Amino acid sequence: MKQTLSAKQKADVLQGTLALMVLKTLDVLGPLHGYGIARRIEQISGDLLALNQGTLYPVLLKLEQEGSIASAWGASENNRRARFYRLTREGRKQLRAETQDWEQTAAIIGRFFEAKAEDLP
Amino acid sequence: MKTLKRFFTRARNLAGQRAQDERLREEIEEHIALQTEENIRAGISPAEARRQARLKFGAVEAMKEKYRAERGLPGIENLVQDVRIALRMLRKSPGLTAFVALTLALAIGMTSGTLSMVDALIFRPYAVPHPDNIVTLVGTTRDIPFDYFSYREYLDLRDKTTSYDGAIAYADMEAVGFSSEPAATPRIKGGMLVSGNYFRVLGVEPHLGRGFRDTEDQVPGRDPVVVLGADFWKHEFTGDPSVVGRKIRLNGAEFTVIGVAPESFPGLLTFGHPDFYAPLAMARVFTTNLEKNFFEDRDDRELTIKARLQHGVTLQEARNELAVLAQNFERDYPQANRGRAAAVYTLFETRTIEDGNWKFCVIFFILGLAVLLVACTNVAGLLLSRARARTREIAVRLALGAGRFRLIRLLLTESAILASLGGLAGIAIGYGVVEWFQSKAGIVFMTELPMEVPFHMDMRILVASVALAALSALIFGLAPALQTTRVDLLHGLKSADVDLPGRKRLWGRNLLVVTQVSMSLMLLTAAFLMARSFQHTLLSGTGFAKDHLLMVKFDPRLLQYNAAQTKQFYQQLATRLRQAPGVQSQALTQNVPCGQDEYYGVAFVPDSFPMPPGRQNFTSMMDTVDEGYFATMGIPILRGRGFLASDNPETPRVAVVNDYFAKHYWPAGNAVGQHIRLDSPTGTPVEIVGVAQTIKYQDVTQEKPVDFLYLPLSQHPISRIYLMLRSTGDPAQLVPSVKEAVRSLDPNMPMLQTRAYQDLYLNQAVYGPRIAIQLVGAMGAVGLFLAIAGLYGLVAYNVSRRTREIAIRMAIGAGQSDVLRLVMGKGLVLVGLGTAIGLAMGLAVERLMNYFLFDAGGVDIVAYVAVVPSLLLVTALAAYVPARRATRIAPTQALRYE
Repeated sequence: MKQTLSAKQKADVLQGTLALMVLKTLDVLGPLHGYGIARRIEQISGDLLALNQGTLYPVLLKLEQEGSIASAWGASENNRRARFYRLTREGRKQLRAETQDWEQTAAIIGRFFEAKAEDLP
Repeated sequence: MKTLKRFFTRARNLAGQRAQDERLREEIEEHIALQTEENIRAGISPAEARRQARLKFGAVEAMKEKYRAERGLPGIENLVQDVRIALRMLRKSPGLTAFVALTLALAIGMTSGTLSMVDALIFRPYAVPHPDNIVTLVGTTRDIPFDYFSYREYLDLRDKTTSYDGAIAYADMEAVGFSSEPAATPRIKGGMLVSGNYFRVLGVEPHLGRGFRDTEDQVPGRDPVVVLGADFWKHEFTGDPSVVGRKIRLNGAEFTVIGVAPESFPGLLTFGHPDFYAPLAMARVFTTNLEKNFFEDRDDRELTIKARLQHGVTLQEARNELAVLAQNFERDYPQANRGRAAAVYTLFETRTIEDGNWKFCVIFFILGLAVLLVACTNVAGLLLSRARARTREIAVRLALGAGRFRLIRLLLTESAILASLGGLAGIAIGYGVVEWFQSKAGIVFMTELPMEVPFHMDMRILVASVALAALSALIFGLAPALQTTRVDLLHGLKSADVDLPGRKRLWGRNLLVVTQVSMSLMLLTAAFLMARSFQHTLLSGTGFAKDHLLMVKFDPRLLQYNAAQTKQFYQQLATRLRQAPGVQSQALTQNVPCGQDEYYGVAFVPDSFPMPPGRQNFTSMMDTVDEGYFATMGIPILRGRGFLASDNPETPRVAVVNDYFAKHYWPAGNAVGQHIRLDSPTGTPVEIVGVAQTIKYQDVTQEKPVDFLYLPLSQHPISRIYLMLRSTGDPAQLVPSVKEAVRSLDPNMPMLQTRAYQDLYLNQAVYGPRIAIQLVGAMGAVGLFLAIAGLYGLVAYNVSRRTREIAIRMAIGAGQSDVLRLVMGKGLVLVGLGTAIGLAMGLAVERLMNYFLFDAGGVDIVAYVAVVPSLLLVTALAAYVPARRATRIAPTQALRYE
């Protein structure tokens, strides 16, 4: 049975991971405005994370205040003024560290799920 | 690190809020525009596309809220907001704000001012490193909880105790003749003899030069070295660093300056700040008692001992150790130490046992707190009544979704701002109070010695003042805040002036009225009591004549006179003055009544008086006087005779006792002709030849009748003596004659404390207490003023609240007098209750004061008779004025009024 995440669970997931997703998105796609980032996250997650796009902005602000990303005004596809976010050097460093963490965590959790009772000595 | 960075960014963001909001708005707009375009591309109609874009974005306001929370510092932001609103509210009613701030300022100022006194006299630690482990060692007898030690005893205690990291000893600060050059006439300065380890044990590093070496305090008279006090060095040597190594003369002897004490160390005394310190070994140049040998006699007790308790040693262990040593003393030296024990006192015990002035200060402080309490209830009442006017504002805020807690915080912020204003002004007033006391220093200490009023608004007091302000903000702010926010929204919004007759609320206000009445009554009673008992003692007199007396103090030791020279000097002086015009009679005495020096004590055993078991002797205050004393001072001899010129060392020893002494030991009234023995049952027999009237010996206001013994100067020669001259005219006119006579005997002899005795008496006996009474009177006045203002406000407010009710009553037929009775009855009941409580508290204070300070006798009815009606009158007026106004309002008007 395919289970959709409840609103509460979604929020919890977002709290921890949205920042990481934002960083990765900017790493892959380069400077991007808020809407672009939101779209990208939706696409990648296969609309599983159909978030309230607005929630992205406080996260962007937090990252900017921490110095992981920087922002500047630029022109959007249709030549309107838009705020573009880009990864800073510090952000790249942070992304690397968090990716590593994440992979490690994922690997450990994965092993737990694969492990069967008889595998243990 | 990251957190810190965010904090600073956020803090910075507080400033540029507008620009940030604008940026977010633009971003949101752009975001929705892009989404809309995409939706249109997907084939949705433009209107629907926009709607869906918005939906997808989510709740914009909630997001903005979160965004702002992320951006700024909500706690501080809210606080800033609260402060801004509170300031606006306070500015809206400047009269009220000013009144509240002033009220609090007066109360906090009085409290912190008096607290500084309590602190200075009891709690302020010594100005040395680790002051907490310094204790005082004292000798005790059955009658005296605080006696000195002799030099020999000090050496024993220093060497035989193991509880301490060193024990120091010092003698009382005394007048020393100082001159920087041999030729100069000596001037009087305050010098102190200290043990060689004084600075080392206290941990005081000299500002210049060095402290004493232990070896400099070993051989009597060998090392004339001196350490200067910082103030003295600055004033006398203009802070010249080359002073170290210089020679100065003290009491005619040459001393070498070896160091200067640091400015941070004014000494260990509460009042005196010694000008210089010399080692105990130089005592011969200084010391007091000519009859004793300072370095040898175990009963020449002139030293205070303080010691630094070793780390890990408890006070109890130190006490036990000292008790054993005292027992050994008693066993080894029964002559000098019979009946003597010893005690170790902490700083607190030392200060409270040594000197009684702290009692005044504690009473002042308690009264100050009472004033503060009155002020707080006052302000609370004001805020309560204002809160009612704000019911609607609060209701609107609540209805719009403000949390109750948030509102309470807002209201408390207002209180805190009021308290800060009051606290700041209060600190200023506290400075004023202390300054006022400082300005009285000259009156309080009529002396050449370096004395200072030790009250300061130091850091400790400032912190305490701030704490007091915060506390009072809580006291007067919390109740109104809680109550205001407990409104019924429905009624609150409908009516501008809602006040549901909740029992609790009325109870609170009534409590305020009762508290105020009782507190102010107590304050007034205290003020009255002090003033009256003071007047009473002044009227009842002291038992001796104070006018037409000139006093001059001589101290031939300043010029190194020996006993024979001293005797000759006084004899010749008396002879010369006998011929001087305007001198009616003259006397010599060791001490003057109600003067600054303390009388010596004397131990004695009355013959034929059954000694209580376990008691070796009694003690009494004593004075050594010559044959002219009683006549000159106007002290009547009730029975027997005074001293005669024929009493001399060759004739039998004689004494005069006071009436109280005579009745005490010979209730049958046959004191004259009886004998006492000095010190012990085997001591010198002394015949009582006369009984003098009991007078006030030390203190006009506080003293109860005490035993007193006079010994003739001729049989007990002393060196430091007051000359008393009774003049036919103005005593000041005798000064030239005395000067002339003294100059002809020894031009270098300083005349100390030359003044009309009445000046000294007024100073010691009248001005000092008058200062106290002025202070308490001021407190009483402030308390009364506050209480009246508060009382009036509360009662008037309570009545005005009922305007509508009164109008209804009158509309349905109540007469004016009915309404007045209704309104005033309530107020009077409250005042009556407050009066009852106030009377009870007043009685308690009276007891306390009688016990502590005065001998004012029983209940002072006049105080109550004067105070109670005035309070009743004020209350009645406060109820009457608004009640009358209420009865004048036309019912239709009052009912419509809303």
